[in-house]
Amino acid sequence: MNPRIIFANLIVKLTGFYREKTTMFFTFAFPIILILVFGTIFMSQDSMEYRLSVQDLDQTQASIDAVKTLETKGKFKITTVDPAIDARQYVMDSKVNLLLVIPKGFEKYLIQRTTFNDNNASVTITYVYDPSSSSVMTKIQILNAVLAGINQRIAGKPPFLRSAERSILTRKYRFIEFFVPGIIAMSVMTLSLFGTVDSDTELRQKGVIRKLSTTPITRTDWILSNILYNFTLAVISTIAMLLVSYAVFDVSLHIDAWLPAFVLLDVFAFVGTGMILTRFVKEAQSAAAAANAISYPLMFLSGSFFPIELMPGLLQKIARTLPLFYVNEGLRASMIFQDNLAALKASAVIGVYAAVVFVLGIMATKWEEGT
Amino acid sequence: MTKEAEYAIEVDRLTKRYGDLQAVNDISFNVSKGEVFAFLGPNGAGKTTTVEIIETIRPFTSGRVTLLGMDVTKKKRDIVQRIGVLPQGFSSFDRITVRETLQYYSRLFNVKTDIDGLIELVNLRDKAKEQYKNLSGGLKQRLGIAIALVNDPEVVFLDEPTTGLDPRARHEVWEVLLGLKKKGKTVFLTTHYMEEAELLADTVAIISKGKIIAMGSPVELIERNANYLALTLRPVDDKVFEIVRQMGLGPVLDTHKNIRVRVEHTYDVQKILNAIKESGAGYLGLDVRKPNLEEVFLKLTGEALREVPGEMETE
Repeated sequence: MNPRIIFANLIVKLTGFYREKTTMFFTFAFPIILILVFGTIFMSQDSMEYRLSVQDLDQTQASIDAVKTLETKGKFKITTVDPAIDARQYVMDSKVNLLLVIPKGFEKYLIQRTTFNDNNASVTITYVYDPSSSSVMTKIQILNAVLAGINQRIAGKPPFLRSAERSILTRKYRFIEFFVPGIIAMSVMTLSLFGTVDSDTELRQKGVIRKLSTTPITRTDWILSNILYNFTLAVISTIAMLLVSYAVFDVSLHIDAWLPAFVLLDVFAFVGTGMILTRFVKEAQSAAAAANAISYPLMFLSGSFFPIELMPGLLQKIARTLPLFYVNEGLRASMIFQDNLAALKASAVIGVYAAVVFVLGIMATKWEEGT
Repeated sequence: MTKEAEYAIEVDRLTKRYGDLQAVNDISFNVSKGEVFAFLGPNGAGKTTTVEIIETIRPFTSGRVTLLGMDVTKKKRDIVQRIGVLPQGFSSFDRITVRETLQYYSRLFNVKTDIDGLIELVNLRDKAKEQYKNLSGGLKQRLGIAIALVNDPEVVFLDEPTTGLDPRARHEVWEVLLGLKKKGKTVFLTTHYMEEAELLADTVAIISKGKIIAMGSPVELIERNANYLALTLRPVDDKVFEIVRQMGLGPVLDTHKNIRVRVEHTYDVQKILNAIKESGAGYLGLDVRKPNLEEVFLKLTGEALREVPGEMETE
């Protein structure tokens, strides 16, 4: 290992990267764009308001009050529908996914129940809905909860079962705080994997590696300078992502030594994976396809964008075998939960993976001709 | 005087197999210090395999190769410090300038290089700040030669330095190589251009199908293998061909309808010209010359070094 040679190589690689504006843009700007887009989407979801169409066939003070209750308790923005319109046809024509129908006689039966204690008096609220809509079930759940509350009040008895929430965290974390560590893990993986596969395959195909093999630079010097180069880019990219996240979304993420440790392990793991892949990719054109074939499944199955608990059981089991999952888990353990033990466990798994693939990567890296 | 001082390169019974393919077949030769040694042969003859073995970057099947007295299989680290290599199809980092590239290679060798002097030597002064990707083929090759010289090597390997270049760029590279020759560098050149070998080489080894079939100075090789004169006549009509044929000299017509005849002495030329004159026939042009390495190669292997339009057709 020769630090002078490693440094010379690092300078050449960074200079080349700096002059390749398109690559620079996609390396640094793409994860930031993801954070801005998804952050904005999910920030607005925290104060989300659903649209609800209501057809009041009773047109009485009681039914008007009920609609107001839906508006205030259920966070709905109400659209009233003319009682003369056919409910089913309205849902089909106007592209709304749910129409709530308050039947005629609503007030009459309400008075029978509340004033005359007639327990047989009841009304049926009908949901006319489009089951193909993804958000309709959420609306129905909210509506059911609001209706349960109204029934509770009419019954006049306090509830027996109550619930209380006690978070293990000092504060509730938002989606963006879950999302940012995942994007850091993903972007470091992507730049390390693509940086290694693309660059090494191209340099090999063009004969630059063959030329270098006739100079004092060794395979170890070359690989270490690649690690240093990717780590430098990863650090710059991570700082940029965090700055944007703090500035735009005012995230509350804890930063300690675990962050650079996981970034470094992420770099080692995927530079190693890239070196193994480079052995099998002969053409520069197929290098990107090969790197994509590895990075996309990892990206979506490892919980970078959403918790793996949302996935079916089998996919959750698969996720736990993927290296990126442990980078995600480790970063979230340290940055959100400040759980050093969980971070240590995750770092042990990704550390072993990184060590194994890195050694295999060194063995797979072809330096001299015919070796 | 030690053997190391006498020879820069010693190759003894070198063989390289790729599975069933015998790329290099039991070849031996020595390259003296300070000489330009050319390996001449067509594509696939084994030139690059041999040169890469000597450069320490390709393993071999059997034999012994020493460079500056050092075994290439054991002393790679020492050897690379003392050699310069322009590999076949040389390329470099696209976004790095000529000057930065030379500085980079200089740092790899940990030497103080006169970068300006090198840029001057390969005539790239106007392009010193140009990125590699913006250079033409000839300029790239000249940069490659400059890179091969950053460590002031004792032996310079140039693997097909002018392949793929247009004639002008080729002549520009030759100028640089003549400069190296003047500086007394030991140069190992592989090429399939016989003009290149004839112009630059002190010794030429002709390689075909993995075997060296002839070796010596260009003049020696021609004297030894093609001791005749090549006469080319541009006839006015077909009668001339018939006259030469009747003289038993075996003329051939090339694709431009020129008559080509091989004769042993200058008086044979005179005899042919007299016979044409006496028959009342005529010719538009005449060329008499000594054969070149191309013809030596043709004679030794029965195949051309490269495809050249207008070569001889059979009678």
